[in-house]
Amino acid sequence: MDAIVRLTDLHKRFDALHVLKGVSLAVQPREVICLIGRSGSGKSTLLRSINFLEEPDAGAVEVDGIVVTPELDTRTRRQRIREIRLRTGMVFQEFNLFPHKSVIDNVIEALLVVKRLPKPQALEIAENFLRKVGLIDKRDEYPSRLSGGQKQRVAIARALAMEPKVMLFDEPTSALDPELIGEVIKVMEDLANDGMTMLVVTHEMSFARDAADRVIFMEDGIFVEEGTPDEIFTAPRDPRTQQFLQRHIRG
Amino acid sequence: MSFRYQLALVWAAIFACIIAFLSLIRLDLGFIGEWWGFIVYGAGNPDAWTVGIVATLYISLASILLAILLAFLGALGRLSKHPIAYGVATFYVSLVRGTPLLIQIFILFFGLPQINQQLNRVFPGFEQQFPFISSLLVLPALPTGILALGINYGAYMTEVFRAGIQSVGRGQIEAATALGMTPGQTLWRIVLPQAVRVVIPPIGNDFIAMTKDSALVSVIGVQELLWRSQKVGVQNFRSMETLLIAAAFYWIMTIVLQAVQSQIEKRLARSDR
Ligand SMILES: Nc1ncnc2c1ncn2[C@@H]1O[C@H](COP(=O)(O)OP(=O)(O)OP(=O)(O)O)[C@@H](O)[C@H]1O
Ligand SMILES: [Mg+2]
Repeated sequence: MDAIVRLTDLHKRFDALHVLKGVSLAVQPREVICLIGRSGSGKSTLLRSINFLEEPDAGAVEVDGIVVTPELDTRTRRQRIREIRLRTGMVFQEFNLFPHKSVIDNVIEALLVVKRLPKPQALEIAENFLRKVGLIDKRDEYPSRLSGGQKQRVAIARALAMEPKVMLFDEPTSALDPELIGEVIKVMEDLANDGMTMLVVTHEMSFARDAADRVIFMEDGIFVEEGTPDEIFTAPRDPRTQQFLQRHIRG
Repeated sequence: MSFRYQLALVWAAIFACIIAFLSLIRLDLGFIGEWWGFIVYGAGNPDAWTVGIVATLYISLASILLAILLAFLGALGRLSKHPIAYGVATFYVSLVRGTPLLIQIFILFFGLPQINQQLNRVFPGFEQQFPFISSLLVLPALPTGILALGINYGAYMTEVFRAGIQSVGRGQIEAATALGMTPGQTLWRIVLPQAVRVVIPPIGNDFIAMTKDSALVSVIGVQELLWRSQKVGVQNFRSMETLLIAAAFYWIMTIVLQAVQSQIEKRLARSDR
């Protein structure tokens, strides 16, 4: 099967700091991949390189057949980055809802201005996705009146409404109170079961174990080890993976 | 005695002192009664209603609109990574904030026509060939005053606008970008609506300050409140009287505008999410 996301020898530097040191990855359609690793290992940077919130310095990003490399001329690059952003949805640790817009307006915003859908159609789509994340009754609330878990579910609905081919999650539950993590995990598991392709940076090892097809352990800008959740969690081979997991599973 | 009551007493006492002082210097109250309407709103001259306090208000309004535009552009420049945009914006802010408003008014009033003169000398027939540019360089006093006030306040407000734009978190901009919105769409639909809430109160303060700073353009002959009071005062050797009329009306105007502003701020606070 053809990969829906393909990263080839990706490099990223922040000045002297070499954050991604040649990362390659092929994500199959419907695959759920969990990225784990210590703080500062480059997980966010990798995820953000896929939709070009960070611009890789070298290497190729391919999403749904659209290839972007640093060598392309500016115009083509810009166009293709836009195409890639239309095919990827992103969920952030801090939710990043638009506080001046109601829940429904958060969800229809990009449908209106990016996809240029007529408003009735955008509303219908948005309501469907709000129903899916269980928040249709909060339709007209403002974000400041929602709990963290509800905010994150709205953020997920907002990304899903654009009907992306791939969903990128950057520690979606790390900013949540422990008792609110479950509701977000549940939405993500439903999404995985529906066959969404997902790349998830997470410290929720239970989610990685239950929902992931593949787990990748990252350290210092490279993939140290990858495998099925079983392989990684019960029989990690690399000592660095073992050390990391010991610390995290106990906690 | 309640605090409010004491406060009213204190104000009444101060007013009584002022009136005593004014009668001591033999102020002509009859003259004030006779002339205040003419000075403040051109009473008795139906063609001249756009003078005095009306002129003060619309000069202030036009200037603040120009200042808002310049401050917006200035803030975008200050936040830009482009060396030209950043350089021009910081130069503008530094130069304008580093020189007195009064000098800026004079320089625009006397300097621009001089540029026109020089252009005519260097390129004979410039005035005939480019009448529009030429007319921009020899502006009448009123637009020159508006230009000067707008440029001056725009520089001060640039920092306010920059802070307003920066008050919108980086994360929201990233979310909009990830959704496929262009930088322009993100600016107009996500950043500015939120920045507006931050900048409206300071714009209100600046507008109120502007109504008083606009008195400075009387020096180039704009017929606003101060200019008219001076004119009438000097002609009749009653400058103290006419200045007091002007001062009183600046004060009343400020009180009214402050009341309006606090209403607006209350409404903003109520709709705050
Ligand atoms: N915009 C930036 N400018 C400079 N350095 C950055 C920037 N973004 C990230 N870094 C650095 O790059 C390294 C990798 O950061 P990254 O956010 O990718 O790590 P992470 O694996 O997501 O960590 P965490 O678990 O803390 O989120 C860190 O050392 C970080 O300080
Ligand atoms: Mg991170």
